Amino acid sequence: MHEGRLHPISVAIREIADIFGRMGFSVVQGPELETEHYNFDALNIPADHPSRDMWDTFWVKTKEGEERKLMRTHTSPMQIRWLEKHGAPTRIIVPGKVFRNEATDMTHEAQFYQLEGLAVDTNITLGHLKGILERFCKEYFGSEAKVRLRPSFFPFTEPSVEVDVWFSAQNKWLEVMGAGMVHPKVLENAGIDATKYQGFAFGLGIERFVMIKYGIPDIRLFHSGDIRFVYGFDEKKI
Amino acid sequence: MIVSRNWLQKYFDQPLPSADVVTDAFTFHSFEIEEQDGDRMDVKVLPNRAADCLCHRGIAKDLAAILDLPFKNDPLRTPIQNGDFVSPHLRVEIEDGKKCLRYVGALVKGVKIGPSPMWLREAIEAVGQRSINNIVDATNFVMLNIGQPMHAFDATKLVEKDEAFTIGVRGAKKEEKITTLSGEEFILPEGTLLITDENADIPIGIAGVKGGMHAEITSATTDIVVESANFDCTTIRRAAQALKLPTEASLRFQNRPSPELAAYGMRDVLALIQEIAGGEVIGVIDVYPTRSEKIQEVSVSLAKINGVLGVNFSKEEVADAFRRLDLDTKIDGETFTVTPSFERNDIQIPEDLIEEVGRILGYDRVSIVELPPAAEKPNQARYRGIERVKDFLIDHGFTEISTQSFAKKGDIILANPLDKTKPALRATLSENMKEALERAKYFAPLVLAPNEKPKLFEIGTIFTKDGEKLAVETSEPVPGLPAIQDDENYEPKQYHLGAYKPFSLYPFITRDIALWLPSDADDGLTRSIIRENAGEFLIRLDQFDRFEKEGKTSLAFRLVFQSFDRTLTDDEVNVIMQKITEALTEKKYEVR
Repeated sequence: MHEGRLHPISVAIREIADIFGRMGFSVVQGPELETEHYNFDALNIPADHPSRDMWDTFWVKTKEGEERKLMRTHTSPMQIRWLEKHGAPTRIIVPGKVFRNEATDMTHEAQFYQLEGLAVDTNITLGHLKGILERFCKEYFGSEAKVRLRPSFFPFTEPSVEVDVWFSAQNKWLEVMGAGMVHPKVLENAGIDATKYQGFAFGLGIERFVMIKYGIPDIRLFHSGDIRFVYGFDEKKI
Repeated sequence: MIVSRNWLQKYFDQPLPSADVVTDAFTFHSFEIEEQDGDRMDVKVLPNRAADCLCHRGIAKDLAAILDLPFKNDPLRTPIQNGDFVSPHLRVEIEDGKKCLRYVGALVKGVKIGPSPMWLREAIEAVGQRSINNIVDATNFVMLNIGQPMHAFDATKLVEKDEAFTIGVRGAKKEEKITTLSGEEFILPEGTLLITDENADIPIGIAGVKGGMHAEITSATTDIVVESANFDCTTIRRAAQALKLPTEASLRFQNRPSPELAAYGMRDVLALIQEIAGGEVIGVIDVYPTRSEKIQEVSVSLAKINGVLGVNFSKEEVADAFRRLDLDTKIDGETFTVTPSFERNDIQIPEDLIEEVGRILGYDRVSIVELPPAAEKPNQARYRGIERVKDFLIDHGFTEISTQSFAKKGDIILANPLDKTKPALRATLSENMKEALERAKYFAPLVLAPNEKPKLFEIGTIFTKDGEKLAVETSEPVPGLPAIQDDENYEPKQYHLGAYKPFSLYPFITRDIALWLPSDADDGLTRSIIRENAGEFLIRLDQFDRFEKEGKTSLAFRLVFQSFDRTLTDDEVNVIMQKITEALTEKKYEVR
């Protein structure tokens, strides 16, 4: 009997979980249907704040008096949920589906996978973030990859950075993720003593990583349920 | 924000460096440059800096810090008369001081409306705005220069009572209407903040969003009331959203510029109006109901800066970064105490200062540091347990698919679906599976051998009244399928994938061929003869039968034809098959 095929998103998550597993990261999951509190408020994104415009949101109909719910717009709510449950120090990655209420095209999908990373300890620095991201990119994309940081803004990190990766084959830098040092308010909202602990967080689009690595032209192929996409790669077990 | 390089240059004596140097300076130290075209740059101002950087002065100020260039004529650092002015000729009535944080108004009489001078027209047009007349252009110029939205009303359209005009700031009444400058009529949601001619109780503007037609500046205007106000960010944001009327003014107000800025805006616009349109300032009024509390100092130690960034900056370097940023800094030992200037209201906690130092001195100076070993063993049990079930299914011939989470029907409904035909969250994976299987059967000849049938699975989240859960769906029953269970010791199989090979969107055609082999031929040779004669449209060749009878061998193949840029016809595939048959016959094959 012939063997089946594993979806490229699963292939990528396995590779990423393996790399981060060797750096001491656990893998955790969280709900896709999320509350306004975890998706926004606890992450220092208040209602009616312009920074909410960074996320086009699918809201879910709720009953009068019930807490507002939405399809999570990012995997970052798990920073709060996990820290509340587990406490610090900790290191996790969170792969999962996220939702954005925006028109789709070759590089935008309303549903896609994100990978959150979080490390909290007494002495974690931006240098450690650069360190793990460079190691991750070298292992995932190849040994010539290197990373650079640029200023950015996210309400739940301070300082915030944009991360570019160098691809020597194409001779260029590509923007691949947002990251930063966890905002002290986020730590406090999760019950962590921000005077004692600090940490970094990052979030990347898994489809984008897979598209760059294998040369996939259109993000809409991933969740189309079309087997021609899954069979579009020579797949070898390692 | 569209920025003109010539405009930025006005803040510097020395010529700005080349466009590439300026672009890199912004990119690596403050903001991305979305586009650069001659004099014009599109600067992607980050949300935390939208209070002070949606203007040329703010952008130039940051550039001065990045490149350490002397900054001249800073309009926000020159002294200003900043008091509670009153005027017998102009009054302001504010209904709610939490919604209108400050209102500076001025009455100017005897202005001459006309086209703007060339420098002003060019400045406004250089950033893609339309020049209207000297008064309107003056208000827009000040906004684009220092970030304070402004407005001018025709005073002759307002009612004077006891020799005074009265500007009102109040919430809209039920079903109150206004026609804006663009001629559009809006029925306002109750409470929308309005600017009114209080003496006549007529709305003359939607506060912080857009002016009204009633008191529009025309060529006949001689007397004007100028507004430089500050409105609550949430109120303005909601109004612009509800009316679907985002404007340059609402964009700025929703980002909470300092109310202090309003006085600077009035000072600058009055000077400009008198310069280009003449007139006499009859009176200025400044109502400041919720004067901001004193600006809070923020302190951070050198150790904390280095400990968060993972760098080794010296005390002198950090002090120099604050100097370049023009931040009022006291240094006590190794602690820096900053009193942010009023427009930098984004600086509130020590981490904000750390970011300022990091970006000015450069994140390229953050060295790569390996994480020390983790205190606890990583827990990947749940994930590994899920992957174990996937590996079981793959061993049993199933292929993983991924489908959309929204469905026609379900227990939980979206309030704002993108695709109105799929307003629900999927309560089952089976609907998508049915559809995917139908398509998989149709496309099977492209990816599977003729004797294989597609078998699919999906592991994904479903949403029911009882909450969400991870479901496993297979296209047919699987004997012995294990349930998902945590399994820390399972090692998910790793795969190496080759580069992606796109598929054609055009239809494909399949043909089968069966043949008796001549005695000197074998399977491999037969394949190559078929391939050599099939041409570029053969995308798949599968042998699906083989038997021997009376010393002769029979083979059967399936050929799949498809083009990447058009639909192939039966006739052209028939011609290809004919060519293959002839080539085989010539080599003594017996095609059946």
